[in-house]
Amino acid sequence: MSLSDTATPTRQPSPSAVTKADIATAGATRRRKAAKWKLIVGTVCTLLVIIPIILAQVLPLPDANFQDLAARRLPPFTDGHLFGTDQLGRDLLSRVLHGGQVSLTIGVLAVLVSGAIGIILGAAAGYFGGWVDTIISRLLEAQMSLPLLMMLLLVVALFGPSIPVITFVIAIAQWPEVARLTRSMVLVEREKPYVSAARILGLHRIQILIQHIIPNVIKQATLVVLLLLAQAVLLESALSFLGAGPQRPFATWGRIISDGQDYITTSWWMVTLPGLVIVLMVVGVNLLGDGLRDRPRRKKKDA
Amino acid sequence: MTNYILKRLGQGLLTVFLTVSTVFILIRMAPGDPAVSYAGPLATNEQLAAVREQFGLDRPVLEQYWIFLQQLFTGNLGTSYSFQAPAMQVVAERMPYTLTLATAAILLTAVVAIPLGVWMSRRPDTGKELGVNVLTIAGQSMPDFWTGIMLLTGFAVLIPIFPASGFATWGGLVLPTITIAILQIALISRMVRREMTANFAAPYLTVARSRGVRNSVLTWRYAMGNSAIPVFTALGTRFAAMLNGVVVVEVVFAWPGVGSLIVRALETRDYPLIQATVLLTALLAVGVQLLIDLAYPLLDPRVRLGKAATA
Repeated sequence: MSLSDTATPTRQPSPSAVTKADIATAGATRRRKAAKWKLIVGTVCTLLVIIPIILAQVLPLPDANFQDLAARRLPPFTDGHLFGTDQLGRDLLSRVLHGGQVSLTIGVLAVLVSGAIGIILGAAAGYFGGWVDTIISRLLEAQMSLPLLMMLLLVVALFGPSIPVITFVIAIAQWPEVARLTRSMVLVEREKPYVSAARILGLHRIQILIQHIIPNVIKQATLVVLLLLAQAVLLESALSFLGAGPQRPFATWGRIISDGQDYITTSWWMVTLPGLVIVLMVVGVNLLGDGLRDRPRRKKKDA
Repeated sequence: MTNYILKRLGQGLLTVFLTVSTVFILIRMAPGDPAVSYAGPLATNEQLAAVREQFGLDRPVLEQYWIFLQQLFTGNLGTSYSFQAPAMQVVAERMPYTLTLATAAILLTAVVAIPLGVWMSRRPDTGKELGVNVLTIAGQSMPDFWTGIMLLTGFAVLIPIFPASGFATWGGLVLPTITIAILQIALISRMVRREMTANFAAPYLTVARSRGVRNSVLTWRYAMGNSAIPVFTALGTRFAAMLNGVVVVEVVFAWPGVGSLIVRALETRDYPLIQATVLLTALLAVGVQLLIDLAYPLLDPRVRLGKAATA
């Protein structure tokens, strides 16, 4: 906080040896610039992928499942196919965007579910301690030592690659991260005076936890959500690459790449372009999450 | 010390037991019939019944579980449906390949990620550091199957330096190792940087610096010494996770390891093989975790095993 004070030396009559040039090159200034840069670039990359995905139905694109065997494996920029076509003559860009809708939906839903489970269980473990904490912490440890991807594959292979199953599976894979973070923050928070005050006032323990403690930790807990979203998208694409992804209504990114794999030597775009779309979006989300975390928090002073 | 090891061993075995039991229940809960995939789609009902009887699938689930428990303690999980060989033996034959790949990947990761993380922590907030930082973000954002295919196309097809798949020569190890290491280097180097930055900001380091301790000693002996445990833990945990089969990379490079085995076992619903794979990999992973914990006193003389209740 004191750093942001020095960064805006307005109305400071006392002469200082620190010149504006010094401030402009100071570590704290550079850090803030880097955070800002990450935020901007991250937003641009993410929107560059997300906006076309959201607008996929509106954009003038051929149907993602429309096959035109006369126009098989056209390279990009031919006959109005921006990304070219695949081995069945389907428009690759359209496939990527429609598949992206499914991937993104799964990712967002999975993060919401895992965030909810993680915050509730993590807060309960941190606040109540005792046997609640023992059970939840053991569960966390046990899951960490489990073969994760193998278990996910197992569940999806056995119960079918439907969107709910995949969402649930990814959420289960991700909740420990949120839970551990929330638990450690609640452990700190519950020792603060306001909690004792609330207890003395006679509030119920659950009310203290929900009304007073969780609002104080939720902001930091939600910061990891962006990073989880990036992971969820990658996890989903890995599952669908292995053939355990949703098939309906559209094949998702991993599946598109695994389809194009056989034609990589003759039709490079079928693997390269969908992959680049994933990378662009995940880099964007990760940069955004990083930038938000590094951003100096000035709001507290204003409040 | 002995008590601690015994306690941890007990916990580990309990975890393994719960894991294999969960898998047992999941498999039986799921729709689908292994007899169908074994006997083929044209099999008559009598043939299917015969197959089920042969595999013991016609018995009540509880009885199957009891048999499974007996097998668990004798270490013989039955015969793999598709390989027609003892399931444990099939998995054990694949294990060295996964071990080789995981060891190579973790070594490469450690050799690159630790110096890289230290390098970043020593010039915070510079343009160069930001550049490398963004590279590590890119590294953790690339799906490994895609990186694998790209490397494969580049260095095995277009410029044929390395073999494209399998493990016939040591050259075959290079591309899968790099594919795994890219993600791991990104994750571990960021973690090294975080730990080192925290230590560089600590008062004890300022004191040491004011006493005139050299910069290299400050970095490697002081700050690294105190970052060693979390970094080592992260590397060890990653290694343990890889033993469970680096599924995706093994599939891309047709690596004859456990990861590609489990994909095949799941496709054919080869129950004994699935269970043997899960059992063996879970045992190995728990073993590695235990070894990591036992190594703590070597890294930090303050650690007394079994007494550290805080964390």
